[in-house]
Amino acid sequence: MPIHEKSLIRPEKLVEHEELVIEGMDVSGHWSTFIEGRSVPDYNETLQEEIAALPGGENIHRCWQCGSCTNACTVNALNPDFNPRYWIYLIRMGMEEELLRDKDIIWQCVSCNKCTYACPRDVVPEQVMKATSHWLELKGHTPKSPSMIFDEAFSEQVFERGKIEDGLVLREFFKRTGQPVTQPWLVALVSGLVKRFPVFYLMKLGLATVFRPRTRGWGKARDAIEEYVHECEERNRRAVGLGTKGAK
Amino acid sequence: MSQPILIVGGGPAGLSAAHAAASAGRKVTLIEKEDRLGGAPILSGYAKLVPSHEWASDVIGAMVKRVVDNPNVTVRTGARVQSFDGTPGAFTATLKDGGKVEVGSAILTTGFTHFDSVNKPEWGFGTYPDVVTTTQLEQMISSGKGVRCPSDGRKPDRVAILLCVGSRDRQIGREWCSKICCTVSANLAMEIREELPESNVYIYYMDIRTFGLYEGEFYWGSQEEYKVKYIKARIAEVTSDGKRLLVKGEDTLVKRPISIPFDMVVHAVGMDPNVDNMTISSVFGVKLNKYGYIERKNTYTTLCETSRPGVFVAGSATGPETIDDSIAQGSAAAMAALTFVPAKTPAEAAE
Repeated sequence: MPIHEKSLIRPEKLVEHEELVIEGMDVSGHWSTFIEGRSVPDYNETLQEEIAALPGGENIHRCWQCGSCTNACTVNALNPDFNPRYWIYLIRMGMEEELLRDKDIIWQCVSCNKCTYACPRDVVPEQVMKATSHWLELKGHTPKSPSMIFDEAFSEQVFERGKIEDGLVLREFFKRTGQPVTQPWLVALVSGLVKRFPVFYLMKLGLATVFRPRTRGWGKARDAIEEYVHECEERNRRAVGLGTKGAK
Repeated sequence: MSQPILIVGGGPAGLSAAHAAASAGRKVTLIEKEDRLGGAPILSGYAKLVPSHEWASDVIGAMVKRVVDNPNVTVRTGARVQSFDGTPGAFTATLKDGGKVEVGSAILTTGFTHFDSVNKPEWGFGTYPDVVTTTQLEQMISSGKGVRCPSDGRKPDRVAILLCVGSRDRQIGREWCSKICCTVSANLAMEIREELPESNVYIYYMDIRTFGLYEGEFYWGSQEEYKVKYIKARIAEVTSDGKRLLVKGEDTLVKRPISIPFDMVVHAVGMDPNVDNMTISSVFGVKLNKYGYIERKNTYTTLCETSRPGVFVAGSATGPETIDDSIAQGSAAAMAALTFVPAKTPAEAAE
């Protein structure tokens, strides 16, 4: 008999035996399709506490699973697998393995906050989605995306000097993502500039690579920003039970 | 102590209190703001009541008659209390029409107000004629006209009942459970199925609270005998495809979106504090609780007391309440008022 709604079965649970004889009956190949059971192997009792301890996750305990957030959700309308109500349930029950199956779509929340205004319990699901994405990142479940690496190189410079130098941001980005600096589009850009030969602009560009521009009197701001960023990082790491960054 | 008792509100609790106090020989003045007695079951035209399935007009009507016929009771309909002065044991109630009533104590049985579904516009009430409330459904049944779609009078094939409309909803400042709507909805669902055996009735719920003995007859009875279907989903919106209503939401148990046509959508409306509670609170000098109902001073030891000595409260004025419990509380309040002894003033104590 064919398996109805095969799409609901996880592929790894479908098992076929190439050679199988049961009670003298040859049931090799698709005749022996079995569906392995799905079971919950363990609960992570601290999962809800960890999410709740991150900024935005504070109200997760209020959820009573009405589904208003999923109903209202912009992303769910496009991708039915994006289901905030379900993830809140998994977190509250401590079903970490199930949650991690969706680690590549949880962060796709567009923060439209329609769920926030629909929720009858003020769970603020949009913030819970943020806290959950943050949790995934802190726990190392999600590798850094290129855009995140770019953001890091960018903000590091802003924190350090209050200004950015475009060339350095690009060079750092290429270096950290393992890409060659000689990108075709960059070569075209530079050769175009050289052809038109805007002397002063090129001089400025050249100087900027040597003397990195800096906002005057930035030192105090830099220290304050660094302290704040460090403080936030440490607080979040403590929230999910990780050591300080130095001990990583 | 044999001064008359003032009872404000002629619903089940007030009728019960008036009957109890008058039967004990005490003079009672019953004030009702509407033009007749009976409260919500009569004024809103309820059909058969939970759990006895007797018609509201029969049983509450009998309570009204019992009170009206009692020589110890003076009924004032179309009346409101303007001010309430004096001390416990010697109050003077001044009515809007200028009349004065001297009483020793008062019982507030001022009841509740049905939630106005217009405050949840996403569920289509006021936009589509075939979206109705449980109160309207009760009226369709009690009037004898039967359950029909208001738009064209047809018999509905598919009916959706949405629970928790105006209850358990922080978005509109109503955090309480209205307690009775689950059972009332199950009861109405059975009534619909009985009148229209071809119809299909679905109840959309977040939790089902058919508490106590209602579990058997109403929760399971509606499913087993009347084939009412319960779906765990809070509906996102009710729209229309031009012909029928379209109900959208998520079936949370199977994790799938719902988008289903219905002929009729029924809002199981909750119980709001009486809209006049701010006025009642200031006229009688009684505190309201954080939800806006009249605050009870005690849960145990003493019954039906408010923050003001000599003023008692019973029924759904204190929070969502069933009719039978309101009636029981009315008797309890009458007992409290009958046995009420005002504290002595310092001058009296010195004598």
